[in-house]
Amino acid sequence: MLDHNQLPLADVNKSLWFPEQASSFAEGVDWVYDTILYISLVFFVGIVIALVWFAIKYHKKKGEPAESQTSHHTPLELLWSIGPSFLLVYMFVVGAISYLDMRTPPEGSYEIGVEAYKWGWTMDYGGGTYHPELHLLLDEPTKLSMRSSDVIHSLFIPAFRAKKDIVPGRYNYMWFKPTVASEKVSDEELAKAKKATGTDAWDYDEYQFTPDGYRFFDLYCAEYCGKSHSEMQTVVVVHETQEELDAWIKEKASRPDDVAPEAWGKTLYNQRGCASCHSIDGSKRVGPSFKDLAGSTHALADGSSVTVDPNYIRESILEPKAKVVAGYNPVMPSYKGQLSDDDIDSIIAYLKTLAE
Amino acid sequence: MSAGTLPSNVRDPGFPTERENYLTNSKGFLSWFCTLDHKRIGVMYLIGTVTAFLIGGLLALGIRLHLFSPEGWLFTDNWLGSSVDKNTIYNQVFTLHGAIMVFLFIIPSIPAALGNFLVPVMLGAKDVAFPRLNLSSFYLWMFGALFFIGALLSSGLDTGWTFYTPYSTTTDSSVILATLGAFILGFSSIFTGLNFIVTINTMRPPGMTWFKMPLFLWATYATSIIQVLATPVLGITLLLLIAERVMQIGIFDPEFNGDPVTYQHFFWFYSHPAVYIMILPAFGVISELISVHSHKHIFGYRFIAYSSIAIALLGFLVWGHHMFTAGMSSLTTIIFSALTFTVSVPSAIKVFNWLATMYKGSISLTTPMCYALSFIFLFTIGGLTGLFLGTLATDLHLHDTYFVVAHFHYVMVGGTLIAFLGGVFHWWPKMFGRLYNEWGGRLSAAIVFIGFNLTFLPQFVLGSRGMPRRYATYDPEFAYLHQMSTIGALILGIGLLIALVVLIASLVNGKRSPANPWGAATLEFACTSPPPYYNFERAPVVGDPYDFHDIFWDAENERYVTAEPEREIVPQTVPEESPAHAGGQN
Repeated sequence: MLDHNQLPLADVNKSLWFPEQASSFAEGVDWVYDTILYISLVFFVGIVIALVWFAIKYHKKKGEPAESQTSHHTPLELLWSIGPSFLLVYMFVVGAISYLDMRTPPEGSYEIGVEAYKWGWTMDYGGGTYHPELHLLLDEPTKLSMRSSDVIHSLFIPAFRAKKDIVPGRYNYMWFKPTVASEKVSDEELAKAKKATGTDAWDYDEYQFTPDGYRFFDLYCAEYCGKSHSEMQTVVVVHETQEELDAWIKEKASRPDDVAPEAWGKTLYNQRGCASCHSIDGSKRVGPSFKDLAGSTHALADGSSVTVDPNYIRESILEPKAKVVAGYNPVMPSYKGQLSDDDIDSIIAYLKTLAE
Repeated sequence: MSAGTLPSNVRDPGFPTERENYLTNSKGFLSWFCTLDHKRIGVMYLIGTVTAFLIGGLLALGIRLHLFSPEGWLFTDNWLGSSVDKNTIYNQVFTLHGAIMVFLFIIPSIPAALGNFLVPVMLGAKDVAFPRLNLSSFYLWMFGALFFIGALLSSGLDTGWTFYTPYSTTTDSSVILATLGAFILGFSSIFTGLNFIVTINTMRPPGMTWFKMPLFLWATYATSIIQVLATPVLGITLLLLIAERVMQIGIFDPEFNGDPVTYQHFFWFYSHPAVYIMILPAFGVISELISVHSHKHIFGYRFIAYSSIAIALLGFLVWGHHMFTAGMSSLTTIIFSALTFTVSVPSAIKVFNWLATMYKGSISLTTPMCYALSFIFLFTIGGLTGLFLGTLATDLHLHDTYFVVAHFHYVMVGGTLIAFLGGVFHWWPKMFGRLYNEWGGRLSAAIVFIGFNLTFLPQFVLGSRGMPRRYATYDPEFAYLHQMSTIGALILGIGLLIALVVLIASLVNGKRSPANPWGAATLEFACTSPPPYYNFERAPVVGDPYDFHDIFWDAENERYVTAEPEREIVPQTVPEESPAHAGGQN
């Protein structure tokens, strides 16, 4: 049951209190945290010593009078009311200064778009490249412009000590500068993991590296957003060079020539959040299952019915609220502009394989 | 308090007869459910809130057991035969745990249950100012609770107790039933607050000036001010939420040009002051407990009294600290951060004053005192960890993680619940006229203390290491800390169960309690245990509520007695005719 790798102090590179420091904010935040911690400990230890000492020393038998009935001492009371206030002002100031640094992105930051939805992430690298993983460049100030297509989400990267809510109806921004690059695992290790995984969705938790073989930092949704809130996670990969990052983006831009549309469709199904609402084994999730879907006839919420042909699938991806299947809520976000025609064709091809 | 020979002029009310005693002077279902007696209403609130606590506590155990393993252990996709998936069950369980604990237990527990019983007796009055309003507030509480149960039984509630929009305006769970319940409970809270304000303003007996009031009354008064001023905001917010859901009027939902952050402002404008509705009465209880069980005058009476009022007022100015990450302007966040720090000063003053009260006292380690000591330890952790969340840079990292969960449980559970338990053990002999088993009581305090710390200390580490809250499943590296926490929760549950058993056993075979089992100088210990129907035969003599000089330990009869009346009697300030309800005879 207890794996020693899970012990908080097992890894010497990690402190008890924090994950790794992987952004330029981390050291400052941890310093402020430690400062408050030590000030608090001084007070806490003092209070507890007094508490225990008094409780033992002045413990008396029933009926014995107290040694003193002093009911006030104004200078002492003023001292302990005003004295700690200076420490509070100090904490407030150091906290506010670090905070202001975190609020203002430097001019010319590298910009990435983020769309959060129930329950996943789409990072927009520009030029039509979308991917759920967040890939960054080492030592490059990066600004995220974030929007949500449904409810409030919150982007949280513990290793960066960075968090910001994503409120529907407005753009929220955050920035950070990654300071630790993700190492790459050996080719053998990656090949072994790929072989073990087979055709199933990649398990980041199990391997602790991405399907491209990079170690990663966790990225969580921190604002409760419904059923699969706890599964709304993705990963952050920090590349060492611009070339490496560009190569990765290029690779993800569209279907590689040697990948069949069906296989690409399956990749998109796993990467682009379809899997969180549509099962492929017939079980009911937020949306209808994809098993045996293509070619079948669906009853719609408005009483009519529709045959699930390529046109209907395409329409459902681009205008999901137009024809809603009976028994389901119109909650799917539109993928208009996020999927190329080839992507949609690949998804259609993949759905057909599920109906055979 | 003095030892040695007893003076000749001691007064001991002895034991009440069946007819004098408020519990037995009339019988039958209706004599309770139509009662106007504040003591009976207090007892009914006590039963109601403790029942709510037991339900909320079982849900908490469900949460902890589920989180024993990273993929979720307790709830499964066909749990108890239902085919709802396990994450949905988990989300409903944590929502109901939060909503029940906040609205049905923590907010009403001390003010409504203990407050209803104690406020008039401590004042030396016969009843509260508006007895019928008092009874109606209890019925509203019951009614609101039924709505909550209705929400649970109809289609569950999965929004979290904060009902954040636009999730709450779009989810298909029973948001409307639950918010109506909270709306009705709000009225119950307002009625109680209003009643106490009027009671304390108008019904103090001759001689009881503001600064001769026990500190529990100061705390209740400050709480009532918040209840009356803040609760209507919650009511309006919840009505707007319902309107938004039903009619899509476009206040909170961006799809209809609303703004979700507006909801957060409205909600926390009530709910942050509500945190002080929860903790201020606890401060009042602890001030009584520390002084009485140290048999020493409370240290810095005026500072404690003023700090209650200061907390009540400052509590209205700090709601924005719940939204540091939501996207307010930098200036706004900095102002809210600065204001937040101001609240910690009056809280710290109280802790120092309690310690100074114990210094050179005559401390009895009774069950209530064990709980009070436990409170100081736990509340200090709760208060100090609040500093990390008020500081902007660290809050960004810690917001919405388990650090916050641990912090508010240290304040709400380690603070309010422990104070409530200490208060119940302190006033139990007064309320029911029975003494409980002291060893059992102290054992419960010790086990609750150990279990509580084991549950919530690991959660601080979980949070600062980055574990977000409200997660039904989690990354395996957090499993070790979650398992510690779950084991702690089971120990905590055992401790609370022992407390319950000890109290119930005392009703069955406890020794009869004397009027003043602890040697306290406040007025509620001047009448018999349990008190007579009208509390006092005549307006009691009012002195300093923390002056222990003429309380004596009668070793022969094993009880505290009071010498009559050597303490300074404050000159009558009221004209010949004192109001009939002010504890005088009809």
